[in-house]
Amino acid sequence: MRISERPEAPAAEPPRRLYPDPGLTDRAFRGVLRGGGAFVLAIMLLVGGFLTYRAWQALSVAQWGFITTETWEPDGGNFGIAAVLVGTILIALVAIVFAVPMALGTALYISEYAPPTIRQTLISVVDLMAAVPSVVYGLWGLFFFQGHVVTLSRWISTYFGWIPIFEVDGVDPRDPLATATVFTSSTFIAGMVVSLMVAPIICSVVREVFSQAPVGEREGAYALGANRWGMIRSVVLPFGKGGMIGGTMLGLGRALGETIAVYLIISPVFVIQPHILQNGTSSVSSLIALRYGEASEMGMSALMAAGLALFLMTLVVNFVASSIVARSRSGAASDS
Amino acid sequence: MIPAPVRRPRATRVHQALALFVAAVCALLAVHPPSAFAESYTKISGSGSTWSANAIEQWRRNVRQQGMTVNYASVGSSVGRQQFKNGTSDFGVSEIPYGLNDLGQQDPPPTRKYAYMPIVAGGTSFMYNLKIGGRQVTNLRLSGDVLTRIFTGRLTMWNAPEIKADNPKLALPARRIVPVVRSDGSGTTAQFTLWMSKRYGSLWNDYCRRAGKQTPCGLTSYFPVIPGSGFVAQSSSLGVAGYTKQSQAEGAITYVEYSYARNAGFPVAKVLNQAGYYVEPTASSVAVALTKAQINNNPLSANYLTQNLDNVYTFGDRRTYPLSSYSYMIIPTKEENGFTTAKGKTLSAFNNYFLCDGQQQADRLGYSPLPKNLVEAAMAQTRKIPGADATRIDVNKCNNPTFSGGRNLLIQNAPYPQACDKKGPDQCATGTGGNKNTTPVGNGSSGGSGSNGGSGSGGGSGTGASGGSGSGGSGAGASGGSGAATSGSGSGTAGTGGAGGTGGGSVVDPDTGEVISGDQAAGDTSVAASPVSLGADDSLGLRTALMALSAALLVGVVVGPPVVARVMAGRTRRKGGAA
Repeated sequence: MRISERPEAPAAEPPRRLYPDPGLTDRAFRGVLRGGGAFVLAIMLLVGGFLTYRAWQALSVAQWGFITTETWEPDGGNFGIAAVLVGTILIALVAIVFAVPMALGTALYISEYAPPTIRQTLISVVDLMAAVPSVVYGLWGLFFFQGHVVTLSRWISTYFGWIPIFEVDGVDPRDPLATATVFTSSTFIAGMVVSLMVAPIICSVVREVFSQAPVGEREGAYALGANRWGMIRSVVLPFGKGGMIGGTMLGLGRALGETIAVYLIISPVFVIQPHILQNGTSSVSSLIALRYGEASEMGMSALMAAGLALFLMTLVVNFVASSIVARSRSGAASDS
Repeated sequence: MIPAPVRRPRATRVHQALALFVAAVCALLAVHPPSAFAESYTKISGSGSTWSANAIEQWRRNVRQQGMTVNYASVGSSVGRQQFKNGTSDFGVSEIPYGLNDLGQQDPPPTRKYAYMPIVAGGTSFMYNLKIGGRQVTNLRLSGDVLTRIFTGRLTMWNAPEIKADNPKLALPARRIVPVVRSDGSGTTAQFTLWMSKRYGSLWNDYCRRAGKQTPCGLTSYFPVIPGSGFVAQSSSLGVAGYTKQSQAEGAITYVEYSYARNAGFPVAKVLNQAGYYVEPTASSVAVALTKAQINNNPLSANYLTQNLDNVYTFGDRRTYPLSSYSYMIIPTKEENGFTTAKGKTLSAFNNYFLCDGQQQADRLGYSPLPKNLVEAAMAQTRKIPGADATRIDVNKCNNPTFSGGRNLLIQNAPYPQACDKKGPDQCATGTGGNKNTTPVGNGSSGGSGSNGGSGSGGGSGTGASGGSGSGGSGAGASGGSGAATSGSGSGTAGTGGAGGTGGGSVVDPDTGEVISGDQAAGDTSVAASPVSLGADDSLGLRTALMALSAALLVGVVVGPPVVARVMAGRTRRKGGAA
């Protein structure tokens, strides 16, 4: 307020001209920004183009069978991504199922309930979780976590084995000497470890959206007699709906591409494995990490084709996520 | 303006002190490093085998104090060969050379100039996680035929008669065998599958056929896994060893270099050799075996110095470990792909170190040192590295433990196996690998008296058999789980056997009900049976009730407080309205 009333400004100064030419500085700035945006787009197109180019050899051999074949023998000409793609999606879904409640709870606590003194610390801790390298999560999952999850897996399979996805072949709960190894290296364990990696991403997106819920509406809710949970339910959650969906989709994108942790934990098999508690699964990115040491040209091309499939899938997921986030009414009035 | 003259001298003093301090620090820094590092070495990096990674890891730590920085990524032999071929690493390490046929797929040699040199010997060992009566088995013995059947899915239970024949003194449990194999491209897998294809070709080909591979199938770096067969595939040697040692992996067996089992503190299986003895892959047994390795001695051949192990597998010496082999480094012999003479200097100095002093540690690390002829040949290969300091590579100054006065001390002093390691009714109790605890050996199935161990207080109707402590009498020290298995609805825990009463009871394994320690040692406290919980027969047992109770409690904890709060708030409001 004070700055606007500059006493030394001469009264004779002409009013600012309003015409399309924004001046050299602005034009240069706009050029740099446009250049940056175009550069990112160009890199994406180049990556896609490169993958398509390298994958062409494999795709022309496998034809449409590439989508429906389960085995992976590029040199025999018999290969496809049916099994790995299903594995990737299942691992990502398990990760999302665990990560979303965890992330939403954390985000709500940080933005609504936590005392301001510890809020910043909590935010840093969550960000730190995102900064831990995935190989660390992988080793932890393999050497420590797996042994504990096996108990949970066994419990679920014993009592909910009648649900098809929780079924485990060759397990007899009455056999005291039954091996626990059928429950290890499974989709379920890999997904749980991946959930720890995607939760911080979802959490920070959602927390950002929650904290932008308009103060006026919050106070309005309080004025109408809502308690804190009532206010959250009627203002914060509806306001943050788009952010929640978008954050989840972003997390899904990350979960689909997670490599090293999955690579360390799973025991790869090349059949469609819908039993998530059972030993053996596969994912596109861990397949690439496992097999890129293979020498043949055809094998490399097939891996590029798998990479292309993953690239397209993540692109679609992220595109949907960004459009949902963009359409969410951040900053607008709430409709409950 | 006025205070300035007062302030200035202080500022100058501070500046002077600061300058002095900086000068002193600079002087210290400038003087110190040259005295510590006599020579400067360029950093080099390599990648490859996890089989020999434990040795390389130790060596590169040792040369660090000489100022050499050698980075090594243990990513598996297949990736190591590939990265060397692509020119992304300065050296590769692999158990097998380029150009081998891997299930119908060729691995073409790189276009850059290279040479092989042996770096260390070792035994591909079989690390296992098996317990009898809650106690780690450390003296398992396996013949080649049984090993092949295990890793081709033909033997699935530990109590199979074939395994029993190898281990007459062990009462093996009726537990599933879980073979743990490598999921990534691995030289260890290549060595193991090569051995299986050479020695047990029909079994191996049969497995390949079932796995949908072309036959005849020779070595492969990628172990084919039949989905749903109970095999577990993990990446890297550390991964398979780490998986096998976890407590939930009881019944697992895997193939890794001996050093991994030692580091994990786990035993390895003694493997039957041609002379009829079960032998552990110690440094000396590997060294003895490899005296029969045929080394390609034609310096003009592309595979100069590579190994042919056919005669190692069938060597008739009693001390031989049949799955012994060398590991190789792939070194560049021309300045290309970013390899310079400065890097060559580092690489040759590193090679010179581990061919001589480094081999001293081989035994302690779980490997076997190279013999003299191979050290000499490897030194000749090292001289081909561009930038190698040929004057320092001298076999006469080499401090290698295997040769002293023209004799290979390691082979000369190699101990002969004990009589109890011979194939037959006897079995040694001593531990192997990383677990040297003895395993008590009993009379096994032929164990006369106490074999009716289940006659204690077997299948009680209510809570099942809380076995153990059979009251002397007929000498049934512990009533095993076989008694409890017949119980009606009880979720009984099978006996914590062991302390065999007073009258010299025999100890019975709760897993099988077989006698594992039939000797007359009264109250053998060293044996403890593991409590085995049996699932309830019907779904309405105590366990289900407890689960329902805990679920109700959980729901109560989550839902209860808000409901109570709402009710209380409602009451207050009503009261407030009334008032």
